[in-house]
Amino acid sequence: MLELRNVSVKLGGTQALRQISVRAAERRIAIVGRNGSGKTTLARVIAGLQTPDEGSAEIGGRDMARDRKAALRAVGILFQNPDHQIIFPTVEEEIAFGLVQLGRPRAEAATEVQAILARFGKSHWASAPTHGLSQGQKQLVCLMSVLAMQPALIVLDEPYSGLDIPTRLQLMRYVGEVEASVLHITHDPESVRHYDRVIWIDEGAIRADGPPAEVLRQFEAQMRLWGGCDDLSDLAG
Amino acid sequence: MISLTSPVETWAHRVPAGVKLAALSLATIGLFALEDPAPLALAFAGSVALVLSGGWRFAGAAARSLRILWPFLGLIALWHGVTGQLAEGLAVALRLLAALTLASFVTMTTRLTDMVAVASWLLAPFRRFGLSTRALELSVALVVRFTPSIARKGGLLTEAWRARSARRAGWQVVMPLAALAIDDAEHVAEALRARGGVVPPEHTG
Amino acid sequence: MERTLTLVALFAALIAGLGLIPKFTLAFGVPITAQTLGVMLAGTVLGAKRGALACLLFIALVALGLPLLAGGRGGLGVFASPTVGFLVGWPAAAFVTGFIVERWRGNLALVSSIASVIGGILVLYVFGVIGMSVTLGKTLPEAALLVTAFIPGDVIKAVLAGLITSALARSRPASVLSRG
Repeated sequence: MLELRNVSVKLGGTQALRQISVRAAERRIAIVGRNGSGKTTLARVIAGLQTPDEGSAEIGGRDMARDRKAALRAVGILFQNPDHQIIFPTVEEEIAFGLVQLGRPRAEAATEVQAILARFGKSHWASAPTHGLSQGQKQLVCLMSVLAMQPALIVLDEPYSGLDIPTRLQLMRYVGEVEASVLHITHDPESVRHYDRVIWIDEGAIRADGPPAEVLRQFEAQMRLWGGCDDLSDLAG
Repeated sequence: MISLTSPVETWAHRVPAGVKLAALSLATIGLFALEDPAPLALAFAGSVALVLSGGWRFAGAAARSLRILWPFLGLIALWHGVTGQLAEGLAVALRLLAALTLASFVTMTTRLTDMVAVASWLLAPFRRFGLSTRALELSVALVVRFTPSIARKGGLLTEAWRARSARRAGWQVVMPLAALAIDDAEHVAEALRARGGVVPPEHTG
Repeated sequence: MERTLTLVALFAALIAGLGLIPKFTLAFGVPITAQTLGVMLAGTVLGAKRGALACLLFIALVALGLPLLAGGRGGLGVFASPTVGFLVGWPAAAFVTGFIVERWRGNLALVSSIASVIGGILVLYVFGVIGMSVTLGKTLPEAALLVTAFIPGDVIKAVLAGLITSALARSRPASVLSRG
């Protein structure tokens, strides 16, 4: 159960999020918006990586930014660029890291790593060097690393950007099979059309919130309208 | 990243790393205590025999690691040829050759994980002064993980430079590369925190 | 804590990366290693403590047998060769460089260049000359004479370190942590 109460965040002088309130218990939630709308900041708040300047963000009644111990079990985050997430030289070390962080003994962590690799049919990846993987393969390693920790909620921040269509479809299938709740942040309506709920963020505030059919229709109409304008020339701040 | 451990398996690969490192330290101190060319020549012959015990291919790789000495050997020959102190020159050259051969021998016959094990054993006493071996382990992993990616980005920046300039890429490439390293550091710090940080919350109670 | 750790590790990787970039040439077509430029930058950008730690980490990994030095060199042999001091002195060089940039709040490009000359050349050469004097059996002045030829190249690197640091500060002020 995710609960955001009047969350506001200021980043270097600009108001990134204004008074966001969300109560959500759906299994598949999408957050859509343009680049710079505050989506990523919202993802970081939900994952407990950004403390709100005002308001509170809780999962299951626990503050994710303050109670990091609870946060590790409650929420995992998949960043937009897997190169920003992979810390270790080999696939098995990368997946084992989160498990050791949860307090598992090394031997036990190693068995669990084998188990998750086997579940994805990737047992032969164990000792592969992470820097040699393709972008899609790296993203899958990140997904496996997060899933290994078995959080109740997984936050995906534009996980498919920069991937080709077959890779994206394959990853979407993997995400579709995830048992945990998923909160998916994206600017691409196609990848979240089948979700339970869509929240549209614009200029740091909620513009619409409801079933995908309805919210995505408004969102797409507005995107096409803006596509005809030239707001590229506007400089921030 | 490949380490410098030789893929040619020798008897010395099976000797414990700590023993080899201790022997190397003693041998190096001994070499610098010797002044006379005769015993130093003997020591060099001994180190060559040690390397040859690993076979020709192994010895060839070891010989290549001596290449960095060539300019210095040339310098010593010139210097002592001019001053006429040939015995001293010979002693210096033989000492360098023997010390470097022995050191390369230990590096080539010791796996990285065994080296790391000895290092953390040596560092264990410092733990009580607040040294976090966990942080050390993490930083070693990070360097091994990010060196190839920084080198690759450096290569890409050089390419991007060449695509728009007839002149060769120069120091200007270092600025964006340093910026990229700092960006990567900020992102990885966040990824670390997302998964519990350097000191996992469990351990802090 | 996480930030210090990743900055130190990534700068160690940057120094390694600078030795790996193929066909990397500094001014005047001198194919000298850009790694000491990395050491100066560790000081001017990260500051004294973190800069020194980055160099220390780098040296430790070289000793353990990783081929991180320019030309893929590494291992214990490096520590038995005449140039040993020019490697072992890195942490001290980065520390002094960073210390000066942290304390002397003048024009960043100028201060960084001067700090790099003092830390990255003066301090580093003290270590380097001692190392050469011991390994080659020469007196200190004799050893110093042998390395004078490399000073002009290093002065160029110090000036470049100053330019790069101030360019970094202009394009993204938050990343020059020595002035943070």
